[in-house]
Amino acid sequence: MKSRRILLATALLSVPALLLASLILGDQTISRADLASLLDGSASVQTRMIVLDLRLPRALMAFTAGMALGIAGAIAQAVMRNPLAEPGILGINAGAALAGGLVIVGLKGAGAALLPLAGFAGATLMATFVFILSWRNGTSSLRIVLIGIALGALAGAGCSFLIAFADVADVQRLMIWLAGSVYAADWGALGLLVAWLVVPVALACLATRQLDLLRFGDDIAASLGQRVNLGRALLILLCTAISGATVAACGLIGFIGLIAPHVARKMAGAGHARLIPASALVGGLLLMAADLVARTVMAPAQLPAGIVTALIGAPFLGYLLWGRRHAAQ
Amino acid sequence: MRSGQADALRVLGLAILFCMTILVAVLSIGAGTARLSFVTVAEALFAFDGSRDHLIVTMLRLPRVLAGAMAGAALAVAGAVMQAATGNPLASPGLLGINAGGAFAVVAAMALQMTGSLGDGNGLVWYAFGGAAIAGFAVHALGSLGPRGGTSLKLVLAGAVIGTFLTSLTSAILIFDQATLDAVRLWTVGSLSGRTMGQVLAVAPYIATGLAAALLLRGQFTTLSLGSDISGALGQHPLLWRTLSVVIVVLLAGSAVALAGPVGFVGLVMPHVARLTIGADYRWIVPYSAVGGALLLVMADTVGRGLFASQDFPVGVTMALIGAPFFLWLARYRLRGA
Repeated sequence: MKSRRILLATALLSVPALLLASLILGDQTISRADLASLLDGSASVQTRMIVLDLRLPRALMAFTAGMALGIAGAIAQAVMRNPLAEPGILGINAGAALAGGLVIVGLKGAGAALLPLAGFAGATLMATFVFILSWRNGTSSLRIVLIGIALGALAGAGCSFLIAFADVADVQRLMIWLAGSVYAADWGALGLLVAWLVVPVALACLATRQLDLLRFGDDIAASLGQRVNLGRALLILLCTAISGATVAACGLIGFIGLIAPHVARKMAGAGHARLIPASALVGGLLLMAADLVARTVMAPAQLPAGIVTALIGAPFLGYLLWGRRHAAQ
Repeated sequence: MRSGQADALRVLGLAILFCMTILVAVLSIGAGTARLSFVTVAEALFAFDGSRDHLIVTMLRLPRVLAGAMAGAALAVAGAVMQAATGNPLASPGLLGINAGGAFAVVAAMALQMTGSLGDGNGLVWYAFGGAAIAGFAVHALGSLGPRGGTSLKLVLAGAVIGTFLTSLTSAILIFDQATLDAVRLWTVGSLSGRTMGQVLAVAPYIATGLAAALLLRGQFTTLSLGSDISGALGQHPLLWRTLSVVIVVLLAGSAVALAGPVGFVGLVMPHVARLTIGADYRWIVPYSAVGGALLLVMADTVGRGLFASQDFPVGVTMALIGAPFFLWLARYRLRGA
């Protein structure tokens, strides 16, 4: 219990610390005096631009997208009743990857502006197909999982085809997009993402009881008065809306939806009233930290944040598994 | 009596499937740019006379078909073992980090120029096999931490984590190194092109050992699939059996990745196909997966060569195109209860 609180407190304190670090560190280091000058309005134009127009929206974008991915992952794991579930199981990643690949390979450089739209369309289309095909007098978690595998494999085959035969420069650009990054963040994109996310995230926070019940299985949930099929459909819709928007904003960032809920469970337990905010916190922190590392470690070259997410997230989860190796479960 | 009849039906089904696999394999050897008759293929196999046609059969087509059949069978059985050991329908050989480990080893070796082109000799096969094996055992070690040797949940989490970690490293290399990306991209989506008899024979013992072990222990996997509480009550030591499963999966899937590249679909889907067709008993799932996996991969490779008239069409793509619609139908109409 005590170790949980320490973890939670550390995570909460890390948010402002990481945000500050994101503003200060980078290709051009901003001093504390410069930051202070921003507050009293005496800062130079250059400092203003670097901090307020580039770094702040980028850090906030990473935090927001990470939070969204963490929430979507927690929902997916509850709805599928599978610890390996993530929004990708709904075909979201495969659909977005195929759509993005077609745009990059088909339109060459001209397609860059279309990528967010294509990603969102591919993700939602695939999730819709998965749900429609698994509907047969209601749905079941296992059928959604299996149909998701099949449709994901089909879209994946299309994507593999592009990777194997398209122009190698296009393939490289596709891989960078597939890895996911917050490189292009600005206030407009951030505002759009936040506006889109407000309603689904609020609904997800209201649905914590449904999520708790679904975890026990269809029969128990139904006997406790839940309309299982309707609830599952709505939750899948939420999950798709949330992760589709993050795909549009940052490309495919895979790891967070899977891992954030597991880390959060160690901090806040399995009840969704605490798990959803905790997953959001962990996801946001992870992506913000990943982007900070991604743009500083090899500066001026930048790695896609999605790659660094796994590179720093995986050892952390390994450490958690190791640190709690004597725990009962 | 009824269960005896059901068993007889299952044996019959298995025999039919096996004959189909042989038939497709022979057709596959005959099909291609140089179309060879059934008789020529048989003569090349049993009365080799050194003619051009016979050389095509023994040097090019036979190794390719054998590699496909072995990789398909190995991956499907490895998938069945993984799903039994973890009790998770999303489990596949790739979940032990095997595909990611193999791919990372190959890409790293090529980026550091430790090996030449993909086609040359057996070097690549060993990099892939070694990377897959190290990743598999690392996953097992991380997943077995804790009192009484961890849980299957820890195993799959450790696998997902290490797998993603290695995949990210691979992407990081490929994003910055266009030459390696160009050389390796066909392999990373799964391809049987250019396999030699030497490579096939090099990994054959590992696949044979893994398949034999899985077939001998198939009854135990049924018990294992009931979950750690029940299998423990029935006398299975959880850590021992999980370790044994990991060894079998590494042998099978590691060799398969070395032969055909990191193909995922067959290992994930074939055990489900078997389960949806003949029920949840691993005594039947294991042999059905073996034969079905071989059939699917050989068929996919033949179709790829036939339809697209290309030696290099990646088998990973055709396999999903052939297998996924069938699997979709099964999942939609044959899945009851659950």
